[in-house]
Amino acid sequence: MNHVPTVGSVVALALLILGYARRNQHLKHVGLELLFVIAVLTLPVYVSGVAAHRELRAVKEVSDDAIRIHQDVALFGFAWMEFAGFIAWVALWQWRRRGAAARGLVPVATALLIVSLAVMGRAANLGGEIRHPEIRAADAAASTPGDPKRFVQYSINQTAVYSRWIWPAAEAVHFLGLSLSFGVLLAVNLRILGVMKQVPFADVHRLLPWGMLGFGANLVTGMFFFVGQPAQYVESNPFYWKVIFLVIAGANFLYLTVFGKAWRDGDHDRFTANVGDKAMALLSLTAWLGVLYAGRMLPFLGRSF
Amino acid sequence: MLESIETSQLALWLRESPSVWAFPTVLTLHTIGLAVLIGASWVLDLRLLGVGRHVPLSAFRWVFPAVAVGLVINLVTGVLLFIKNATVWGVALPFFVKMALVVASVATLLPIRAIVLRGGEEGRDVGSNARLLAVASILTWSAAVTAGRLLAYLVV
Repeated sequence: MNHVPTVGSVVALALLILGYARRNQHLKHVGLELLFVIAVLTLPVYVSGVAAHRELRAVKEVSDDAIRIHQDVALFGFAWMEFAGFIAWVALWQWRRRGAAARGLVPVATALLIVSLAVMGRAANLGGEIRHPEIRAADAAASTPGDPKRFVQYSINQTAVYSRWIWPAAEAVHFLGLSLSFGVLLAVNLRILGVMKQVPFADVHRLLPWGMLGFGANLVTGMFFFVGQPAQYVESNPFYWKVIFLVIAGANFLYLTVFGKAWRDGDHDRFTANVGDKAMALLSLTAWLGVLYAGRMLPFLGRSF
Repeated sequence: MLESIETSQLALWLRESPSVWAFPTVLTLHTIGLAVLIGASWVLDLRLLGVGRHVPLSAFRWVFPAVAVGLVINLVTGVLLFIKNATVWGVALPFFVKMALVVASVATLLPIRAIVLRGGEEGRDVGSNARLLAVASILTWSAAVTAGRLLAYLVV
């Protein structure tokens, strides 16, 4: 599972480069789709890494600093990966609408993928050192416990704990973001379920970037909560349900973005969904309700506050 | 009066029951209702502001029943959340600020609804009044959510 982001990004990168080399748009498209999926899957990997950290603390031979450095690098890798995934998504969205992404967008996504891959590679390396202390022996002298302030995670944690207003402000943004995402997904899925039948699918597809805006706001604020107070979440079962629902919702978001059937006869086709499409729409709404339910129940079914 | 509400059986159950079906479920439903209510109104506000401008306004009639569902859920759960700690909420200024913002937000929906219905089946034109209402709706809902979220820090 931990290898999904690194291995998956290498495959996505290979597809994109091959797409350039062979001037094959199809390969590039698949590369972008894979990149988006990897960006979604990086979330559970990052979360499980933080959970593993807490377990490893009990193990004596493992240097706490080594883990902290790994986590900081992993956090950067995660951020770059989400950024790359976002650009890939924008490219796919435009591709669906205009038959091509804006000039430069795919190269930017590729470049961001290379950066996140480099950072991830470093995180994987440092992670390997945690698990296999023998590789580290030579550097052992360098890992004297240092000033915790140099760790990004520590700074975020201090801000989360000591700032009086940042946490409440982030909570408010998180609720605004969830309303926006949910509203957009409600509209798009209702269209598939047969409400607004007279509206071409292209017109509800137009709303997806607004859903992405809400989702992005919630990813940033949500990661702030998680990195700021990881203990609240890693020991909380509903948090894992929430992450699973988020992965389903993310995959579905990609599906709605590239969904080809509704476009077959041009933008003005009055697409009618079949049973499979409707099942997908219901799954999407269920996943979003699951995210809301598990998220709001965190303090009650789990141990967050 | 507030005290007798707070000491009622229902309030007692909401406050003290360890069941997830008591306070936690009420609070979660309040969040789900919020998402439906505000999400649906925002989608219409976006249309009024020009997102998908060639879609007839009549396509957005579903927004009003959705808003109604969200509103009913949140009225019921909101009343339950109120009676749970009636003596606290009944005298808390931030709570009344939030209520005023909710009322203002719902108030923007009534003229918006009239505009959508007036347009008939094919109406697409959005005047400057409607755009202004859409901006007002987005802002008042944002303020209401923010105020509601902050209640947890300012009051309880």
